[in-house]
Amino acid sequence: MRTPSIRSRIVRSAFAIAAAAGLAAGTAQAQEGEPVRLGAIYIMSGTASVYGQFAEQGLELAIEEINDAGGILGRPVEYELQDSQLKADVAIQAARKLVYQDGVHALMGIDSSGVAAGLVPTIPELNRSLIITHAATPDVTGKLCNRNTFRISVNINQNMKGAAMVAAETDAKRWTTIGPDYAFGHQSWEFFGNYLKEIDSSVELMDQTAFPRFGNEDFTPFINSVMDSDPDGVLISLWGGDLVNFVRQANNLGFFDKGFEVMMTVGAATEVLSALGKDMPEGVWLSTRYWFGAHDNPMNERFVEAYASKYGNPPSYNAEGAYAAVYAYKAAMEKAGSTDADKVIDALSGLTVMTPMGEVTFREGDHQATVGPTWGRTAGMNEKYGIRNLDPARTFDGRDVTPSVAETGCKM
Amino acid sequence: MKGSIPLVVMAAVLLALATLPYYVPYFYIFVATEVLIMGLLAGSYNLIFGYTGMLSFGHAAFFGFGAYITAMLLMHFEVPLLWAMIASMAGALVLAAIIGFFCVRLDEVYFAMLTLAFGMMVFAVALQWRSLTNGSDGISGFPLPEFGLGIDLTLADPMVYYYMVLVIVVLASAVLYLITRSPFGLMLKAISENPERVAFCGVNERRHRLIAFIIAGTFAGLSGALFAPFNRVANPDMVHWTQSAEPVLMTILGGAGYFMGPYFGAAVFVLLETWITSYTDQWMLFLGIVLALMVLFFRRGLLGTVLDRVMGR
Repeated sequence: MRTPSIRSRIVRSAFAIAAAAGLAAGTAQAQEGEPVRLGAIYIMSGTASVYGQFAEQGLELAIEEINDAGGILGRPVEYELQDSQLKADVAIQAARKLVYQDGVHALMGIDSSGVAAGLVPTIPELNRSLIITHAATPDVTGKLCNRNTFRISVNINQNMKGAAMVAAETDAKRWTTIGPDYAFGHQSWEFFGNYLKEIDSSVELMDQTAFPRFGNEDFTPFINSVMDSDPDGVLISLWGGDLVNFVRQANNLGFFDKGFEVMMTVGAATEVLSALGKDMPEGVWLSTRYWFGAHDNPMNERFVEAYASKYGNPPSYNAEGAYAAVYAYKAAMEKAGSTDADKVIDALSGLTVMTPMGEVTFREGDHQATVGPTWGRTAGMNEKYGIRNLDPARTFDGRDVTPSVAETGCKM
Repeated sequence: MKGSIPLVVMAAVLLALATLPYYVPYFYIFVATEVLIMGLLAGSYNLIFGYTGMLSFGHAAFFGFGAYITAMLLMHFEVPLLWAMIASMAGALVLAAIIGFFCVRLDEVYFAMLTLAFGMMVFAVALQWRSLTNGSDGISGFPLPEFGLGIDLTLADPMVYYYMVLVIVVLASAVLYLITRSPFGLMLKAISENPERVAFCGVNERRHRLIAFIIAGTFAGLSGALFAPFNRVANPDMVHWTQSAEPVLMTILGGAGYFMGPYFGAAVFVLLETWITSYTDQWMLFLGIVLALMVLFFRRGLLGTVLDRVMGR
């Protein structure tokens, strides 16, 4: 059993009493001294569950810090966590459960593009705000955007714009991709290609691409077919356990000795780097939505130190996303002076909030935070944490890589 | 006297369902909606399993096909939900006729394997025809339009959707019930007990089995059409054989020997899932234990065992 389960029961019984006391009042109207409840949905089972664990740690750390400093609006903060199982329908049920059963005031989390695209259109019906902290599909702050949904993490647009800028500086002209066979893999390739073509129209985007099923165990045929097609550069958008398996198998097949540029769009997730250690080859380009060593500000310093001393790892981007989202809710609820969903949504729109990545702003037009990825080349080992260093590392300013609201296709 | 017990119980259950939103926490409206939809799926399945004796592992093909048809019609054409449901039933009917045409020729394990194979073919199409089905992400983000026939319903309101599902599931189940009580239904029962004897009486046994298969598939399509707008997603999971296993498990849980057994099994299944997943991610382990105990000690299912006792069978 996971740790939240006992708390879960307490919260539930507390809620049952509250509900019995005032059923007619509807779901959890905020009262003086009543805890502020955050509902989080992350992947807590299967091969990618380590992402959920990191997110929960970030969430836990932020809540601890905030409670030690007097809570939000003088009220203590609690959280409820649900497993998305990386399935949209499970996440939708989880969100309904969090809102109607557990009476959370606000929602956060979501690990996968496919899950986000399914869940986001249902959020307005729940009458809560949602801050996405990981899922990267442009659609949820683009054609599927709505008033209730925000994103604090780097999206595919931002990451692939940075990727194209890095790729354009290499000598590679013929590019192909290996990515998971769902929205994330296909959209990563599409946006990378479009941005790269804009910068350098002479590049060739190969027709031969590989999209293995997410959760695939054996990548050998895909690795071989890419090696046979003899590209100059390969964009790899695999993530989680898939990426770990892929890198190990690619090492065995000599994939990294072929001399082509390799760019892994979420390769510098510390979950992946810790799992691989020295097996992550030197000299490949890795990206991450947040790199713990790339942001020079007091909040980041404090966050990295507190996180590493508490959990023994440097924080991953998923940990940072969850941590930042809790602080964003704190700022929004205090600006609104309330945990009422409508007021929190109004407060979030256009809000500038301090996060470990520096000051970020939720744009009014599409609710995407102006954040940028860090792209870096793998170098020697960081002996303290047992992961590869990134050197050189290049952190993009969110304002340079975020497309205009008109380009996103979002109509609020 | 004893014969009227099921009727009294039925009336009580219907009354409880109709007044449900007034005495349960709001979240249980979602749970109850799912129970009803899954009940219809299991109930339709029992027409071929419990009544005709055909163990199919491909029932999700019709459920998922219905879900996809409704999701796509809402997504691309914003048709009223009623017409989408009818289209789903029609689509599932055609699919069941095609798959059934081949499957009813075989018996026992061969029938089961063939339904599994056809089910996985439909799954493969849903997963791999990305331009049409959007691959593993499935169809999501579709609007909930009007109901149709000028009936003014706010379908996005969970309470309204619950009552709509309740009415449709009760009507569809009544039709299924009448079919099981008709001469055709009694013939299915006879086929399940002794197919050779039925054939010797001059009855076209294969045609009866095919018609039962098609009817069951059509109602599974309807439950899929109800599920997609409830779930807000139609994805390949709904066509996968693990989805096909659910009506089998629900029917065994509730008991295949009574018409209401699968509905009862669906309720137990969904409630257990809701409760157990609140405490642990290992819900399948608990389900396995429950099922093993059921099969070992209560082979007539939960409802079946209770009703057998009460009615003195």
